[in-house]
Amino acid sequence: MEFSRESDMTALVARFLRNRSYAQQLSEVGFYEHRMDIYGYSRAHQLTVAVELKLAKWSRAVSQALLYQLCSDLVYIAMPTLAARRVDVALLQEYGLGLIAVDKARCRELVLPRFSHVLRRRYRAEYLALLGEETQR
Amino acid sequence: MTGPKPELIIRLGSHAEKEYAMKLARFFDGLIVGANLFEATPGATASLLLSVEAKKAKLYVDPMTYAFGPYIDPDSNELRTDLDWIKSDQARKKDGKRITVRDFKRSYKKLALELGDPIMASTAVQAHQLEDGDVRTIFCRNVATYQLNRIRREFQGDKELSDFAGDAPTPAAVFAPYFYIEPTHTETWLDTNVALMTTSAALGLDVPVHAIVCAAAVHLANPKFRERVVKAAKTSGVGGVWLWFSGFFEERADEVSLRNYATLVEDLAEHTTVYALHGGYYSMALWHKGMQGISHGIGYGEQKDVVPVIGQSTPTVRYYLPSVARRLGVPEIERALSGMGIKSPEDFHKKVCSCAVCVGVVSESIEEFAAFGDMHLSHPMSQRKAQTPAAAKRCRYHFLLSRIRERDEMPRKSIQDIRADLAATATTWGMQPSLASSCDHLPRWSRALV
Repeated sequence: MEFSRESDMTALVARFLRNRSYAQQLSEVGFYEHRMDIYGYSRAHQLTVAVELKLAKWSRAVSQALLYQLCSDLVYIAMPTLAARRVDVALLQEYGLGLIAVDKARCRELVLPRFSHVLRRRYRAEYLALLGEETQR
Repeated sequence: MTGPKPELIIRLGSHAEKEYAMKLARFFDGLIVGANLFEATPGATASLLLSVEAKKAKLYVDPMTYAFGPYIDPDSNELRTDLDWIKSDQARKKDGKRITVRDFKRSYKKLALELGDPIMASTAVQAHQLEDGDVRTIFCRNVATYQLNRIRREFQGDKELSDFAGDAPTPAAVFAPYFYIEPTHTETWLDTNVALMTTSAALGLDVPVHAIVCAAAVHLANPKFRERVVKAAKTSGVGGVWLWFSGFFEERADEVSLRNYATLVEDLAEHTTVYALHGGYYSMALWHKGMQGISHGIGYGEQKDVVPVIGQSTPTVRYYLPSVARRLGVPEIERALSGMGIKSPEDFHKKVCSCAVCVGVVSESIEEFAAFGDMHLSHPMSQRKAQTPAAAKRCRYHFLLSRIRERDEMPRKSIQDIRADLAATATTWGMQPSLASSCDHLPRWSRALV
C-alpha cells in the first residue's frame, strides 16, 4: 500500500487541483450525512470540483461520488495508483466520474469527468458561499 | 380471519410524538403505548389516550415485561441478567459531592413495582420463577390489571382528570406477560411464554387476551418452533398473537426467512388474529396471507431489536420512498430523480408521492424536494450539521400518510399485483445507480410473497 490513510492523499490531490486552477478549496466538507474530502472552485473556469478519496474500496467511492454530482460540476474519485488500476473505468465513464491515480510523486488523471447532469444549483451556491465566492452560474 | 383492510396501529415512542398521534389518530386503527412510557409521564399519557380514544382508535398498553428478562448483549453477544440496558447513568449527591451512579431508569423502576413479583428491578426474571402455577396466575393477573386499570387510576389520582375517571379508556385487548425467547434457552422460554399466555387467557377477563411472541429471528428457521407457536395459538385460548422477531429486518432478510415468516403468519391465521408488533410494508402485504395488522413507530420502528443499540447522535429521519417501501437518504433519491424522468413537481407527484406533505413541499420546483433533508448546526458548538426539526417532521408526516395510503390500497391489490409492482420497481428505481444497493429487497419480497 502506497498510503496508509486517505488523508495522506489529500495534500497531493489538492495540489493537483490547484495546478488546474482550482485554487479555492475546502476539505472534509459535509454533504448531508457524507463528507466530501475536497471541494474546489476554479475562478478561471467558473467550475466546481468534488473529490472522494479512497484507499481501496472503489465501489463505495463511486456510490458517494454519484451523490456529489448533485452539488459539483465535476466529480473525481482519487485512489492510490495500484488500487486505481482495479477500478471499473467503463462504469466511471458511464456515470461521468473522473479518476485520479495518486502516488507519492504525482497525481495522474486516468479518466476525465463529464459535467454533472444532475447538478442542483442551490447546493452548488451553498458551497461557493462557503468558499467566499458569489454564485455566478 | 382478516378484516376488510389491514389494521394500522401506531406505537407512541415518546411524548415528542404526541402531535402526530393527535393529528392523525382518526386515520389509524389503533395506538399502542409501552408501559415504560406510561410510567415516565403518566398524566400526559393518560390524557393523550383519552383524546385518541375519542377519535375511535383502539388502544393497547404493551406491558414491556420482556425488559425484565435476560437478554443478549448486542456488543459482547453474551447473555446478561443484570438488566443493564434499562439502566442509565444518573447524577446523585453524596456527602455534598456530585457523583454518577448507574441505576434503573425511573420509569422501569416504577413499572417493576406496578407489575410485582417475580419482577424486581434488580436482576432478570428467570423462567423457573414462573413454574409455580399460583405465582404465574398472580403475575398474569397483575399484568392484566395493570393494563386495564392503570389509566383509570391515573385519572382518579389527578385533580384535573378525576372527573373523567369513569370515561378512562380501556384497552381493546390485554397482553399476556411475555419474555424474550433467546436462542440459548429456546425451549425453556418458549414453555414459559406459552404457560403465561394460557394462564392469562384463563383469567376470564372481559377483554380479549393477546400474546406477544418475542423471539430471536433465528427461530424463524426452526420448523418445530413455528409449529409450537401455532399450536399454542390454537390451544391457549388467546384471541390474538403479535409477532416480534428481534433481528428480523424485512429489508435485509433473506428469501427463506421471509417465506418462513409468511408461512408462520398463514398457519397462525387459521386459528387466531395475527399482528406484527414492529412491521413494515412486507408485513402489511401479508394481510393477503392472514396478517390482521401491523404496528410501528412514528419516525422509525418498523423493525426493532429487543435490546436497542444506543447511537451517539440523533438519527436522521429519512424520506420514505413509497415505491421502494423503505426510507432512504434525500441525496440518494434526488440523484435518482432525473434517471426516473422526474423533472417537475407534477412528475414527482405522479411517480413518487402526492400526499399532502409532498404536494406542499414540492410545489414550484423539483429542487424543493431537498427540504426533506434540510440541515443546520443545531447549536453554536456543533461540529456537524444535523437534520432540522422541520425537515424531520416533514419526513414523519409523509411516512405516516404514505403508510395510511398503503393500508387503504392493500385490499384493492391482489398478492400478484404486489409481487408484480415490487418486481417492476426493481427494474426502474432499482436500476438507478444511487439506489441499486437499497433496492435488493424488492425481488426477494416479490419471490417470497408466493
